[in-house]
Amino acid sequence: MIRGAVRQFVISVRLYFRNPLAMSYGYLFPTLFLAAYWGLYRFDRVPLVRHMGELLTVTVLGGACFGLPTTLVSEREKGVWRRYRLLPVPVGSLVASTMAARYILVITAGLLQIGLAMLIGMPPPLHPFDLWVAFTVVAFAFLGCGLMIAMMADTVPAVQALGQTIFLPMLIIGGIAVPLASLPQWAQHASAFFPGRYAVEALQAGMTGDGVGSTLFSIVALVVIGFAACMAGAMMFRWDEHERFAMRGDRAWLVLALAAWAAVGTAAEFRGRIATTGTASTAALAPASQPVDIPITSASPLQSLRATTAEVAAGAAPPSTPPRSTGAPENANAGPVSSRPHPTSWQAVSQADIDADLTFDNLPPDGGIITPIETAADQPDPSTAESVATLAHALPQWGPGSVSDPVQRVRNLLYVAAVPDLLQMDIERYVPAIVYERIQAQTERSELIKVLYWIALHPFDDDDQAVGDVAALGLPSASALNPEDVRARAAVYGVKLLGRLIGKIHP
Amino acid sequence: MPTAVTVRGLKKSYGPVDAVRGVSLNICDGDIFGLLGPNGAGKTTLLECIVGLRVPDAGEITVAGIDATTRARDVQQRIGVMLQSTALQDKITPREALQLFATFYRNAADPAQLLERFSLTDKANATFDTLSGGQRQRLALAIAFVNRPEILFLDEPTAGLDPQSRRELRDEIARLKKDGRTVLLTTHDVDEAERLCDRVAIMDGGEIIATGEPRTLAAESASMQSVSLSTKPHIEANALTRIPGVVDVVCDGSRVRFRTADPRRTVRELTAWLEASGIELIELHVHRATLEDVFLRLTGAEQDR
Repeated sequence: MIRGAVRQFVISVRLYFRNPLAMSYGYLFPTLFLAAYWGLYRFDRVPLVRHMGELLTVTVLGGACFGLPTTLVSEREKGVWRRYRLLPVPVGSLVASTMAARYILVITAGLLQIGLAMLIGMPPPLHPFDLWVAFTVVAFAFLGCGLMIAMMADTVPAVQALGQTIFLPMLIIGGIAVPLASLPQWAQHASAFFPGRYAVEALQAGMTGDGVGSTLFSIVALVVIGFAACMAGAMMFRWDEHERFAMRGDRAWLVLALAAWAAVGTAAEFRGRIATTGTASTAALAPASQPVDIPITSASPLQSLRATTAEVAAGAAPPSTPPRSTGAPENANAGPVSSRPHPTSWQAVSQADIDADLTFDNLPPDGGIITPIETAADQPDPSTAESVATLAHALPQWGPGSVSDPVQRVRNLLYVAAVPDLLQMDIERYVPAIVYERIQAQTERSELIKVLYWIALHPFDDDDQAVGDVAALGLPSASALNPEDVRARAAVYGVKLLGRLIGKIHP
Repeated sequence: MPTAVTVRGLKKSYGPVDAVRGVSLNICDGDIFGLLGPNGAGKTTLLECIVGLRVPDAGEITVAGIDATTRARDVQQRIGVMLQSTALQDKITPREALQLFATFYRNAADPAQLLERFSLTDKANATFDTLSGGQRQRLALAIAFVNRPEILFLDEPTAGLDPQSRRELRDEIARLKKDGRTVLLTTHDVDEAERLCDRVAIMDGGEIIATGEPRTLAAESASMQSVSLSTKPHIEANALTRIPGVVDVVCDGSRVRFRTADPRRTVRELTAWLEASGIELIELHVHRATLEDVFLRLTGAEQDR
């Protein structure tokens, strides 16, 4: 029996590669999806990696909710499965080998997407093994759903109709195509009842997050949904096109499969996993390369920072301006020249400089996606809270956060807030408070105000070696990040702290 | 003689339609057994219940001494089945199909030998969607042989084939007979059943209405003989009913057929009437009763024509 199942698996895989239509659906469409995503997020190499969770979910969803049932139903309509029924083997082995063959198709499509994305500049996944585990679990869940669709649909057109009824809601309110953060509350609650949300979370954790260990709930949810769907699909298996779904008496299995979705959603509600955090908010709303609206009132290096981040994101050559580590005013290199002289050192910064050069009205909102900062209402879930506590515990011992130069020290600490933000980690909005607390504990207030002003106007000064040391704080490696992006985010976090210190911002 | 297949009181309904109504039959080892009947008689349903494609509503089925209703997989290890139309994946080749099916059985035949035996070697690597109807039927038959079956079930094996393919397939079945295999074949082709089968059962309306050797069944009908003739001009069927002894008149284009219990007297009366009417007799044959006559009489198909 095992030998037969293996042979059937091998032949099924071979047949996929002989079928031009299957190849188009299996590989061409995922490539087109990748091209579309790249078109959307081409201005920065980092956002593509942030959206791979969504992209891979769409690929698996397409292969599972359309590809698998279309093949199964068309073969059933032709009478292929009727012939297989005469074999002396249980249904489970035939179904398992068919699904395993389809898994090969979707995982090779996923590998193709990742490979092509890396060719156009995407950094490699942070946790390749975890990504494979997550991909396998996601494929299991969606292939189970595809099997269910095949058993419910009497004809191939019915597969398309049923597939769309699952595919479209999941894309729109399931956290795949539309970011959960931009959805109304009711839709965020509804998304907890769809596997798509958990698929994106699990896959993204392998790409840029902390691995599958940080998304155990999503993994368990997908396993539960997949197991119920596979079991129901096998029990409802139809060999013959004349066995119509409506005429069969085993529809109770459908209830079992849907009960798994309901159970997962209910558990998410009880565990407080509805709120959107970290990877769940990686969707398409705001690419990280979006030029940050820095509150500069006069021509200054910060204005050129805005241009710089956009240029870097667009793949342009590293900026020649402003010059690094000069410690001198950079007006000459910063575009339109202000008639007002800037201070020549951080010690010389005055309140008048701050009032003249900075405005705090156009900062990215604390509750948004760029440079988020926790509000009082935000409560991290247990796994996020654990990561935050680890970082808070390690920060006082972190070397770069204790260097003697106050500007470099504050810069280094601000990088700690910037890295989780750029990686869109679950902890991103909780880190700034810890960083701010540490900065204020080490630097006297009046001195800090000057330092923060100086950093805001000179974001590319000094060094950024500390970005490479954030792993000591339990953060993932930031090697995939563009250093200019980290500096830009650090500068914005600096301005936000400055606004709080001088009473311009009231969180 | 040992029994290869035993069916007792088998019933199967599809909603309000009783497809098989309490059928019982025995097939002896080494017999080529024909299940004969018009379309919709219940032959295919009966065969599909025996091989495990359908679950009967009631009744007992024993195949090779195994209860087929409770140990279907054991039965499937020992039987070969050729369905009325066998479909495989479009892109699978005959070689791959035979290799695949062979892996599921304990006592599998060599796929290469099967390809040769069923004249498929040239098409071994062609995809299924490029095979002709005859080649597909031969492949279906080869698949039925893949486990060296003790008993073969063939559902309308020659239906839809061109004359050449039909002849080849009939030759193959005749070879099975020579090999001493047990075969149950369904057909609505009376000539095929008469030529190939040791015993036949005639089914109609979900029931078996006659069972026996083709010759014995025909002999039971020998009291009625069949007469066919052609004339110029053609004559109407009702014109013949006036001639004594003529029954069951059927017009078939330019030919007219009828049955009679006293062919000598009826032919004498017929020729006299034709001469008196100025109708030229072109051709006249008197036939001994055949299985077809029995089939038509029992199933009432002749009256339906």
